[in-house]
Amino acid sequence: MAALSPLSVALLVAVTVGLAAAILAWRERPEPGATWLAVLLTGQVWWATFLVFELEATTLPAKALWYDVQWVGVVAIPVGWLFFALAYTGYDRYVTPFSVALVSVIPVATVAVAAAGDPGDLLAVDRVVRETAVGTFLDVVPGPLYYVIAGYTYLLGAVGSVPLIQLIRDDARPFRGQSAALLVGTAAPWAGNLAHLSGAVPIPGLDPTPLAFAVSGVAYLLALSRFRLLTLAPAPRRRARQLVFEQLHDPVFVVGTEGLLVDLNECAAETFGIDRRDAIGEPAATVVPKYDAIRELDGTDADKPRPIPIVGRDGQRPYEATVRDVVDDHDRTTARVITFHDVGAYLGQQQRLNVLNRVFRHDVRTETNLIQGYAEQLRSDPTDERALSIIEESAGRMLELSERTRTAGELFDPTEESETAPLTDAVDEAVAEARAVAPDARIEVGQVAPVPVPVVLEVVLGNLCTNAVRHNDADAPWMRIDAAVADGWVEVTVADDGPGIDPAEYDVLDRGTETPLRHGSGIGLWIVKWGVDHLGGRISFDEREPTGTVVTVCVPVDRSETPGAGPDGEPPDPHLDDPAPSDESGSLGPPPNAGR
Amino acid sequence: MANEPTRPSAPDGTTAQYRSHATPSDSGTLRLVAAFVAGAPFAGLVAAVEVAVVTAALGVPLSAAPVAVGLVAFAVYAADHVADAEGDIGSTPVRARIALRYADQLMVAAAVSYGLAVALAAGAGPAALALVLVPGAVWIGYATDWLPAAGDLVAPLGEVSVPRLKDVFLLNSAAVALAWAVAVVAAPLAFAGVPVDSAGAPAVALLFAYVFARSFVDVEVPNVRDVAADAARGVATLPVVYGVSGTRRALLAVDAVAAGLLAATAATGAASTPALAALGVGLAVSVTVTALADRLGGAALGVAPDCSYLVAGAVLLAIGW
Repeated sequence: MAALSPLSVALLVAVTVGLAAAILAWRERPEPGATWLAVLLTGQVWWATFLVFELEATTLPAKALWYDVQWVGVVAIPVGWLFFALAYTGYDRYVTPFSVALVSVIPVATVAVAAAGDPGDLLAVDRVVRETAVGTFLDVVPGPLYYVIAGYTYLLGAVGSVPLIQLIRDDARPFRGQSAALLVGTAAPWAGNLAHLSGAVPIPGLDPTPLAFAVSGVAYLLALSRFRLLTLAPAPRRRARQLVFEQLHDPVFVVGTEGLLVDLNECAAETFGIDRRDAIGEPAATVVPKYDAIRELDGTDADKPRPIPIVGRDGQRPYEATVRDVVDDHDRTTARVITFHDVGAYLGQQQRLNVLNRVFRHDVRTETNLIQGYAEQLRSDPTDERALSIIEESAGRMLELSERTRTAGELFDPTEESETAPLTDAVDEAVAEARAVAPDARIEVGQVAPVPVPVVLEVVLGNLCTNAVRHNDADAPWMRIDAAVADGWVEVTVADDGPGIDPAEYDVLDRGTETPLRHGSGIGLWIVKWGVDHLGGRISFDEREPTGTVVTVCVPVDRSETPGAGPDGEPPDPHLDDPAPSDESGSLGPPPNAGR
Repeated sequence: MANEPTRPSAPDGTTAQYRSHATPSDSGTLRLVAAFVAGAPFAGLVAAVEVAVVTAALGVPLSAAPVAVGLVAFAVYAADHVADAEGDIGSTPVRARIALRYADQLMVAAAVSYGLAVALAAGAGPAALALVLVPGAVWIGYATDWLPAAGDLVAPLGEVSVPRLKDVFLLNSAAVALAWAVAVVAAPLAFAGVPVDSAGAPAVALLFAYVFARSFVDVEVPNVRDVAADAARGVATLPVVYGVSGTRRALLAVDAVAAGLLAATAATGAASTPALAALGVGLAVSVTVTALADRLGGAALGVAPDCSYLVAGAVLLAIGW
């Protein structure tokens, strides 16, 4: 072969650099974008190589042949660029066999037309060999398909550049460097091609695009080596951020400026029993729990989150809501992120400490003073039976207090695994405790559904039943317990004909805190409340006519049992299989409102 | 082709390169440089000399073919050493250590080298371009997991698994020999733009068969040294399957066939006699190396088979080509 033209030598430099970059890119598979970058670079090498053959060919048919072969590389470049940019920047979900096939339709059609000998002069209306100072060119008068594929190439190039341009402003220097190198590598051939299409190149027939591939190759090599392109790709960041949002253990809602729900994470959907597909796009007020209260957390309030009781899938839990604005690059608020933090455990612990502090500071001290006083009296009169009896009763109350304190501690022992028991067993156990306290009491047991319940409920019912008969001054105390199941909730009522519970006790339980002046009279009701809270349930008190109290406890049915067979081999309650309504109470129906 | 010998083990079970504190640093550096040069650069040099000798034998004008094929050889062997560095720790520890430590630099050098070779070939025309792509394509099928992956794609149920060419008995060496025979014999013609008929088709065919046979021997002889490592990795080679003695006999037989091919080439009268004589001297060196395969140390066995071409090249220069 004769000596190469200077133009061919320049093209071979582009081939050398481009192929080296292609091999290095191919080696980085399966890093995001590696394969597509190799496709892009191979396309460039292909185009430049066959352009050399075209330049060095001496006849029109030979030049036309190599010109047509170049189309394979020409059309591969924009396809490779688009999918490289998408995969590299983390938009890999758009890189699918279907999308690749769809995007490749026009390029494949172009190659097919070229392979078929350009029927109808679609690619080139005329081809002429022109002698110039720098070589012999094939001057092509473009046909209609030429302009179509040229426009399509520019379109794919522009679309692929968008995510890379975003990286230019990234905080991470390596990604800025990578994207800058890639954009330079892409802009150089574009500039060459624009010059060719606009007629700015003084040599007729010379398309300088492949010459610019030398610049591309150097830029890509720089990106691969200096900026660790492909070995340090930003692709995982989008996934990781999405993963953090999805896997966050706090429920999160994203609400647009128009008050419509834009997004929510898995925890939010699960906690509040929300169907994500249905919820997104709906007004936030209908989906986000207590939205009306939360939306007021503007400005300074947003920095002072407060507990908001919300009924979730597992019952009523206190949450703290925080609201953060999503601000775009122009400081415009585009959405608000509402995050719920479950503070039930923290508040419960604080509450228990308060109560136990009161018990030791007040109740134990009172009883101890009593014992000390009557012990002094016994010292002066060892035959004082009343003093002895009072000391015994006081010591008994302390012992009982001690037992209940222990029970309260065990209720929240994190090392204890949650056990379940049939509701019938829990009721029987509670009734047995009450009978032991007051053997003369008239105790009635109504219909009890045989559903599984957490054993904590046994403690709750035991305290309610013993309180009902113990604090009853009638000669034959009466008590009745009933249990029903509805919408996945167990509702147990304990009624008595005693003197009733002091409203001050309700007040303290409602407020959740005790003060030296406003406190409960013992720890029994607190154990009941803590147990019910622990189970995600609700408790309410009603007065009975003519005397007495009705205490209603609602807790979710324990569904950790294997469905299909109830306890003791009996079929499960049909209510358990009822489809749950989709409201703020999650997969359960709302707890029956027993009123107060 | 070239391989780095295994260092003899010390009585305490360690090898020399792991006791560098007892070795002067300059000799350690020297050893690393020597190991590097004896690796891919040596393979590239040998390939270039092979092409030059065949160019002389065929009587075609000298072209860029030796440089291009030498660059391809360097690229392919450098990439191969990097790809198999972890597996080569047992048989060629120093070379493997270099490949592991300088993997990125070696791959950049290999990529640029192959790019340059392709550019040189593209400048010589389509036929030359196709030729330089052959060794790269064979290496991809030979050493990478491309074939098994493609096999899994075709038969996803896993009923038929396609192994790496490198792991297939005899076919592995034959594939390498074939790739080099194509590149070494056809490249001088393609780069010089000389049709096969002009050079004498029988002579070209016989020389092709000769280079194929010789390359096969050159690939298998170092396997005598690698027999333990290859057996451990499940790679079937002649020494693994037939033992060292069987391998020596088989390779001597192949050398004998090569000698016959060389004589037949001379009989055609189309080849250059001085070049054929030089190749004959090289063949004699090869036969000697094959005969001493189990006695030569690892260092010698790693480079000796390929040295036959260097000897042939030196003889050719000496007799005035």
